[in-house]
Amino acid sequence: MLNIKNLQATIDNKHILRGLNLNIKPGEVHAIMGPNGSGKSTLANVLSGKNGYDIKGEIKYNGVSLSKLSTEERAQKGIFLAFQYPLEIPGVNTNTFLKTSLNSVRKAQGEKELDTLTFLKLIKEKASELGIDEKFLSRQLNVGFSGGEKKKNEILQMKLLQPKLSILDETDSGLDIDALRIVADGVNSYKSKENAFLIITHYQRLLDYIKPDYVHVLSNGRIIKTGDADLGVQLEKTGYSNIV
Amino acid sequence: MKTEDLKNNKEYKYGFTTDVENIRSPKGLSEETIRFISNIKKEPKWMLDWRLKAYNRLKVLKEPDWQKPKYPKIDYQDLYYYSAPKSASDKPKSLDEIDPKILETYKKLGIPLVEQKRLNGIAVDAVFDSVSVATTFKDELTKKGIIFCSISEAIQKHPDLVKKYLGSVIPISDHYFATLNSAVFTDGSFVYIPPNTKCPMELSTYFRINASETGQFERTLIIADKGSYVSYLEGCTAPMRDENQLHAANVELVALDDAEIKYSTVQNWYPGDEKGVGGIYNFVTKRGACRGKNSKISWTQVETGSAITWKYPSCILQGDNSVGEFYSIAITNNFQKADTGTKMIHLGKNTKSKIISKGISAGNADNMYRGLVEIKNKAINSRNYTQCDSLLMGNKCGAHTTPYIKNNNATSTIEHEATTTKINEEQLYYCNQRGLDQEEAVSLIVNGFCKEVLQQLPMEFAVEAQKLVAISLEGSVG
Amino acid sequence: MKQNYDFKIDKIKDLTSEEISLRKKNLDLFYQTGFPNKKDEDWKFSDLNSILSNNFNKIANNDFLPREKEFKIIDEFEHNFISLFNGKLISKDFSYEEKNKILIKNFDYKDNLVLDSKNSLYFLNNALATGGFSLEISKNYKLKKPLVVYNNFSNSLKEKIVNYKNSIILNENSELNLINYINNSSKENFMANILESIKVKKDSSLNNILINNSKCNCYFYKYIKSDLEKNSNFENYLLSSGLKFNKLDIEINLNEENSNSSVFSALNLINKEHQEIKTRINHNAPNCNSYQKVKNVLNDESKGVYQGKIFVKNISQKTDAYQLSKALILNDAAEFDAKPELEIYADDVKCSHGSTSGSIDLNSIHYLKSRGIPEKEAYQMLINGFLCEILEKLSEGKIKNFLKEKLERQINGY
Repeated sequence: MLNIKNLQATIDNKHILRGLNLNIKPGEVHAIMGPNGSGKSTLANVLSGKNGYDIKGEIKYNGVSLSKLSTEERAQKGIFLAFQYPLEIPGVNTNTFLKTSLNSVRKAQGEKELDTLTFLKLIKEKASELGIDEKFLSRQLNVGFSGGEKKKNEILQMKLLQPKLSILDETDSGLDIDALRIVADGVNSYKSKENAFLIITHYQRLLDYIKPDYVHVLSNGRIIKTGDADLGVQLEKTGYSNIV
Repeated sequence: MKTEDLKNNKEYKYGFTTDVENIRSPKGLSEETIRFISNIKKEPKWMLDWRLKAYNRLKVLKEPDWQKPKYPKIDYQDLYYYSAPKSASDKPKSLDEIDPKILETYKKLGIPLVEQKRLNGIAVDAVFDSVSVATTFKDELTKKGIIFCSISEAIQKHPDLVKKYLGSVIPISDHYFATLNSAVFTDGSFVYIPPNTKCPMELSTYFRINASETGQFERTLIIADKGSYVSYLEGCTAPMRDENQLHAANVELVALDDAEIKYSTVQNWYPGDEKGVGGIYNFVTKRGACRGKNSKISWTQVETGSAITWKYPSCILQGDNSVGEFYSIAITNNFQKADTGTKMIHLGKNTKSKIISKGISAGNADNMYRGLVEIKNKAINSRNYTQCDSLLMGNKCGAHTTPYIKNNNATSTIEHEATTTKINEEQLYYCNQRGLDQEEAVSLIVNGFCKEVLQQLPMEFAVEAQKLVAISLEGSVG
Repeated sequence: MKQNYDFKIDKIKDLTSEEISLRKKNLDLFYQTGFPNKKDEDWKFSDLNSILSNNFNKIANNDFLPREKEFKIIDEFEHNFISLFNGKLISKDFSYEEKNKILIKNFDYKDNLVLDSKNSLYFLNNALATGGFSLEISKNYKLKKPLVVYNNFSNSLKEKIVNYKNSIILNENSELNLINYINNSSKENFMANILESIKVKKDSSLNNILINNSKCNCYFYKYIKSDLEKNSNFENYLLSSGLKFNKLDIEINLNEENSNSSVFSALNLINKEHQEIKTRINHNAPNCNSYQKVKNVLNDESKGVYQGKIFVKNISQKTDAYQLSKALILNDAAEFDAKPELEIYADDVKCSHGSTSGSIDLNSIHYLKSRGIPEKEAYQMLINGFLCEILEKLSEGKIKNFLKEKLERQINGY
């Protein structure tokens, strides 16, 4: 599904990714762990097509190069990024946003756009699965939401848009234990043979709930070690300094 | 502390005069006065012409009247424009030759030159009234090619540099007081830092106003050539006088490519007495040009003195990626008035500016922040951040904020925030409960309020500034 | 270059000789400076003289009353109305209200409205004003339906200036929702210069909305002087995108305790439109609140200006005053200027202001795009959100929906 070859990314003359290789197949869950400043969030940004990065190397998604695709085209093709810091957008109603987003994706995929009634029914259903109060949906997007509420909102969007590749950037940060469980349940319930996950995290915590097939250690812009779920557990005990 | 002690302490600590014979120019403003000044300083003809050009311009200019603090009309014909201590007429070669009375004066002010040389590693170019009387550390600086001397000396010895840069930031035809200065300036400091040189010590000038009825008109010019760095300190104290005295200095800074100038001021001139009688009018023009790419100019000021402070140290950000900063504390008590702030003019690409202003007003005083931030059309990707906080003590004083904001660019951002509050009573109570008396508590809280600015000052200055903050506000609460 | 004008007091009918001489005096005062220019601190960012001289050959005072008295009534919500044509009161309808509770008549120029302004447009208005209305709401009366004032301008006002005065009084414990509706769709350039006095008495509440029907070549100036008594409330919503030039100059005097005032504005300016919101809030009594939020989206070569001043008198302890201006600049030829001022003489107060201007937040755009929303739509969504937020405090209902729909049309093109 995703094939990254010798990926290099530079921003403001800082060389952040320095030759990263990664292959993800449908149905797999990959975790990327690494110390602060190793390039984890840059990888997430580059995959979602954020402007400002100077990129070399190759990223192929289902055989097609991503380099020429804009952020929204990537999203419409099923790449989803759960942001580490979801943005607060004053004045924009959460429901309006979700509906516009869903219909943009559906339209691009050749599906029929949903009318308001059908949409509301769908969103209520998804929200209740995640234990999100309906009232949130009529509030301004992420404005005044707590850290946990913002992250839940990200997972809600994931479940609504039904992406093929979901990238979770430090989704566990700022979550208490109950919220963490809800988020993890949300992810687990969406796991399938067709969908893949790339979970970016600093700690093992989230991986206790979402079992990865592969764990990669990112350091200085490269993957320096790959293992199975046990690698994460080991890292938690010994810290990064023994490996990096 | 006993009430009586407090009262004594509140009085101006530096209120004394030194008995030195003066050479004075004819009274009043005229071509004759200007020729007198130029002649006594043995200036070349080009300098005299420059002064006269300014004088002719001055004749058509009007004194500005838009400022908040109003002052009685100044009779420019009733002032002396030049006064120099006689003993300094034959320039002393070393500290030993300096009039012991002058040295004594500095000692009272807490700036013993001799000790400073040994202990602090600061080169001091001291201005006593209008003439530079002593310059130390010259040798060390000369080795690095750094020129640090009086502007009079620079006119004689480095005419090319002076001709090139004098008036290049504050043109002759600028506003009234700047032009007045250009016509009659007596002395001041000159600094030139050669390319790729970091000035090894903080350069410093202490100003004093001494003789009565003397307007003081310093002229300072600092040039940081490519890739150089200099930190300059200016400190002022003045003895007590009944009559108001005018101070209209001009300070010009030029930073070329990759150069940085840090200019710090602690201004503690005589503010007048508790009834508002006397005190200095401090009408100063300070302006810096970030002329080269990646250059930086940073102004820090602690203004606690003067009856009226009226000045706006500014930055013209011409070079791409250049940076301008302004950190200010202005404290007014009794009948003091301050109208101060800055201008940040963004011309180059990716230019950045930051303004942090703290105004504190007590007694019957009035304190105004006035500033301009302008991002021109070509200054793409530029940024400004401004924060102005005012603290009021009592309801007889005023705190005002008047920012002018002009953004003419779709890629640039200007952010401005301002707050006005009173001193937090909960905090006072907390301090009192821990055994601090009212004065100490106020001093502690106000210093906290000013922290962001105080920490910009070089160490030597920071301590003095903190003391000043406390002294200035004594008796204002409770 | 000074704007040319041709002002004649003798065009005005039925004046006593006393009135004529007073008007002449005012006209002379106007002639001393002409239209305000940038040398006047209050007009620093909006040089009216040069704006006019770039767009007008010669301005004359209007003496023309159109025969047509037809105009399109807003059908989105039920309302009372007053209809003015070129300033002249033509018709009124208060059929939703009780009789004898509302007094409406032509503005009486013998009442001589003194607004102590030094502005030359004030003198010009004194010299040339005709028409306008006086409205008074009785004690303890709360209007059941909103009142729309249709400010109709006929299509034949080319190079004319219309001057009039209004007076609005809300007596004790009364309530009014007022919508000033500017209605003109001609391509002709003309100017309107309106002075309005508003008195909000004890325990009363006035909601004052200003909105225009469509894009027009109007150069609009309105000066509002308002005086608030104890426990009163005065809210303003200013939505005037589409006027070629507009300066709304609002003075609010909080004269007695516990009164509240607010100013909200949302403007989306295009082409060479130039609009200014200028406020002066005088906290003359303790325990009053004032709140201001002004938002601009600036496209093309447009210019947005905010000049706001909060003045707090030394007796006005426990004042809570806030002002915020925000601008999105979408084009390098567009400009935003602000002068948010605080002048404070009381210490136990909470006063603050903030002003930000700059580009649209690209991280937010990225966030929306990462959810599959196309770029153009993402921009539109953010701009809508940015401006519509101004209406948030307004209570839900037909008026809010009407304003929201209008505002969205102003943003997305008429």
